[in-house]
Amino acid sequence: MAKKKTKIKLSPRDKKTLSRLEGLADRVVNAANSRRDPYVDIPSRTLSNVHYSPRKRILEMGKRTNRRQLFDLSQAKAYMRTMLVSSGCKRLIDQDKTTSLRGLYYMLKHTIEGAKENTFEEQGECDTIIEDVEVLLNSIREELHLYAENRGAMVGNITLMDQGDEINCARMGSGGYAIPSIVEPEVIKLSKNRCDAKFILHVEKGTVWQRFNEDKFWQKHNCILTHGAGQPPRGVRRILHRLHNELSLPVYCVLDNDPWGYYIYSVLKQGSINLAFESQRMAIPDAKYLGLRSIDFQRCNLSNGVKITLSDNDRKRARQIAKYPWFEKKRDWQTEIKKMLRNDFKLEVEALISKDISYVTEEYVPERLKKRDWLD
Amino acid sequence: MATIKRKKKIVRKKVSQTDKLAENSAVSATGSNNGKVRRKRRASAQSMAASQRDISVSEFFAKNRHLLGFDNPRKALLTTIKEAVDNSLDACEEAGILPEIWVHIEPTGTNRFKIGVQDNGPGILKKQIPLIFGKLLYGSKFHRLRQSRGQQGIGISAAGMYGVQTTGKPVKIISKVSIRKPAHYYEIQIDTKINKPKILNGRGDGVDIPPGDKGLKAIAKHGIEWEQQPHGTRVTIELEAKFIRGRGSVDEYLEQTAIANPHVTLHYLDPDDNGRDYQRSTDLLPPEPKEILPHPYGVELGRLATLLTEGESTTLSQFLISSFSRITPGVARRLCRTAELSSRTNTRRVNREQVDALYQAIQTTKISAPSTDCICPIGEELLLGGLHQVVPGEFYTVATRPPSVYRGNPFQIEVALAYGGQAATQNITHDLLLELVEETDARTIRQFLINTFNGLGADGADRIVKSSNLGTRMSPGKLKPKEINKLLEAMKNVNISEGQTMNVMRFANRVPLQFQHAGCAITQTILGTNWRSYGLSQSRGSLPKGPVSVMVHIASVWVPFTSESKEAVANYPEIQKEIRLGLQAVGRKLGMYLRRRLKVKQQSDRREIFLRYLKEVANAVSEVNGVDQTKLYEQLVKVAKKRTAEADMRLDDRGRPIKDKELDLGENVLIVDPTEHQANIQRVKSEA
Repeated sequence: MAKKKTKIKLSPRDKKTLSRLEGLADRVVNAANSRRDPYVDIPSRTLSNVHYSPRKRILEMGKRTNRRQLFDLSQAKAYMRTMLVSSGCKRLIDQDKTTSLRGLYYMLKHTIEGAKENTFEEQGECDTIIEDVEVLLNSIREELHLYAENRGAMVGNITLMDQGDEINCARMGSGGYAIPSIVEPEVIKLSKNRCDAKFILHVEKGTVWQRFNEDKFWQKHNCILTHGAGQPPRGVRRILHRLHNELSLPVYCVLDNDPWGYYIYSVLKQGSINLAFESQRMAIPDAKYLGLRSIDFQRCNLSNGVKITLSDNDRKRARQIAKYPWFEKKRDWQTEIKKMLRNDFKLEVEALISKDISYVTEEYVPERLKKRDWLD
Repeated sequence: MATIKRKKKIVRKKVSQTDKLAENSAVSATGSNNGKVRRKRRASAQSMAASQRDISVSEFFAKNRHLLGFDNPRKALLTTIKEAVDNSLDACEEAGILPEIWVHIEPTGTNRFKIGVQDNGPGILKKQIPLIFGKLLYGSKFHRLRQSRGQQGIGISAAGMYGVQTTGKPVKIISKVSIRKPAHYYEIQIDTKINKPKILNGRGDGVDIPPGDKGLKAIAKHGIEWEQQPHGTRVTIELEAKFIRGRGSVDEYLEQTAIANPHVTLHYLDPDDNGRDYQRSTDLLPPEPKEILPHPYGVELGRLATLLTEGESTTLSQFLISSFSRITPGVARRLCRTAELSSRTNTRRVNREQVDALYQAIQTTKISAPSTDCICPIGEELLLGGLHQVVPGEFYTVATRPPSVYRGNPFQIEVALAYGGQAATQNITHDLLLELVEETDARTIRQFLINTFNGLGADGADRIVKSSNLGTRMSPGKLKPKEINKLLEAMKNVNISEGQTMNVMRFANRVPLQFQHAGCAITQTILGTNWRSYGLSQSRGSLPKGPVSVMVHIASVWVPFTSESKEAVANYPEIQKEIRLGLQAVGRKLGMYLRRRLKVKQQSDRREIFLRYLKEVANAVSEVNGVDQTKLYEQLVKVAKKRTAEADMRLDDRGRPIKDKELDLGENVLIVDPTEHQANIQRVKSEA
């Protein structure tokens, strides 16, 4: 192993991650030498340990940690798994390979010696431990050489470098450029000179994105068009963040008019509870909410057929969202959510198609942009 | 007489026939009357009367033998033995003799068995023998209220009747009252038509066998089976039957009888000539149950009326005081006042309405509960001992409820529980197995396992044989040492108690109840009890799981059975309540024991879990920072040992300090080391 290591040139980031991993392992050795219980303190990833920073306008993780001890009946197995995942990541970094979450799960799954027990039974068990290790080492998943499935797509007047390949997002046909799970600067290089687009339009789903792409919206309005297949994965959020910050492109969102759509916007803008430790790198506090709005039913003269009645769950969720600290003090948002509750129906972006197939691309969005009519 | 009557009948019939003929012709002559044919009567009242006659009890039961427990050959065998043994025990106890009973089952042909049951009881007087064994509903126990096994006086004579009906062989009885007096020998058949015994030997008078050596010779000459005893009775019945082991078998009955009657010695010889002795664990006879007067609450209207007319003519108040328990002159006066009768009314002058009024008055007046000293429970200590001797286990407990009353009948509930640890197969040693294999005469391994290890059963044996990969038909005597090792391994590995459900033993007045589990108040109460809170697993509406046996004994002057075959206790809320309280009492103790055991197990588990994961942790850590893996592992093990030792000493699972005190379960609990329990390994008697 040691000989192999020399062949691979480690990036400074990998070196940093490796030293953190080694620090974790050294603590175990030190504890064992001094006959103390080895433990790790893992920052807690719960709602109670997440708070909204009004100054930075993002969600931040609190200081509370959970102690995980080796010599505690209920934690012994979790501790063992934490160490396993660390060693797995170390192996990946040493060999400069990346693998999927599933791949790591298979890498580490084996039967424990002298027992009829497996280290992991389900992938879910492995995934939570990976998130633990991320917060524990303060290294994000990408730094641990792990990736998730590609999800989300991008098209627009921009050219970027992906692992040395030049990708011209203006020549991506109908499918668009699939946004990879890892979009860190080592993988994807952005350059101001090669970007003509003036803003980013993020839509909720692939079907809507398809509509915009087919109508060549991005050509007409000179923008970048992205979608996140529902709740955007880390890759999409991260690239939006980078585009926004490195190329100073404003981000506008066209999402469904329902609590789910509101929450997608909230995650893009402030960060999510579970990944609060990554808000720094992902949240875009300046993102704008273009539509759909509760008033659009009247404003666009939609027919009754497009209404979808709210379920109990929707109503509950809407009230919860209205109470989030980052929505609580915004009067526009409060009226928006109240209006939806009063309407007692939700609207999907596709509802606009009932007016005309290209209504959304040719009238709705241009009009909003022109009038600078959005929610913040 | 009969012939004359018959003649008359025939004449009448003739008349009626001619009548009918006349009618017929009339109808045909006039044609159909408005299209309606007058329906002829198939029989007239007179002709029907001719076939109406008395039914003798014996005829009724000969036809309906299932009512008495003779539904099928298998059950017939058990019922016969059961009736004979119950009678013997009753007789011995009444006479104050420590019972010793011999039960022999001998096959005499396909599906035919000769059953001999002998006791060392007081013997039976010569003139009573034919009546007791050859007449249904003849006995001493029906008319009195006293705790006894038998009740109606049907059992043994019905068994004899069944024997005669299925094999034609008479019932043979030999009885001896004293060592100096002659023994009486009878061969009897029951005449089902008239419910009377028919004596076959000694020209209808039986045979007397003189005492002493002369008698012995006579016994030998007649081919009578008799264990040499100064007094006692032996009944031999040959019947069509089937011998099957397992649930509801004779084996089970005798085993359970031994539990509930620890003062009895049983010698049992089964059809395969295997002998099994149950030695008494106490020389103390149960106290003699007292006979009591009926309690007014338990008397029905009709019975009250008969009592009034049958008894001597006295005043009403005198009648009440003398024929019922718990009626004092004061209560009698109050009863009469409520019924608006004079307490001095002559019992003969009380009319139907007045009886009804009196009956209603009894129901509404508060009368103290009957005295309960007429009940003899088995006793906690004896029950514990009895259960321990027969049921393998590690934990035993008993609870006795105070006596209670249903419908004016006093009763008492006793509940015992055994929790069995490992099966005998699991803690056997190599040497013992070798010995047992050498001793056995079983032809296959499967049979060897079933015969040797009590409570294993065919199912468990099959699983052991399967997991040992030996042939089912292999002879245990021809096993090679390697194969013995395989068998031993399989025996240790197969968990017999897995999937085992609670074994319920029901007793009424010391008699095991083996059938109609579902219909019995005892089973229903056990099902209705929540055993999960006592550490057993139980799915809704079924018996709890685990190696646990529960025995419930109801002692009463009159046990409410659901049928004559005495197989299930009827559901009285009072009885169910007492059973439930008893079950809860033993359950609580079991729960305490199991929780304690669990805690001990957890502590050893903890060490195991840590050790299991330490290797993984050491591997992972050494991969990350390259430390010496074995060294780190050893160091971690040291920390683990230190940690668990501390935890074991000071803290329990809630982090509170443990005071190292003994588990206090109170009285009536027996905890044994299951490895020392030998009762569940049945050795072939080599020393005998």
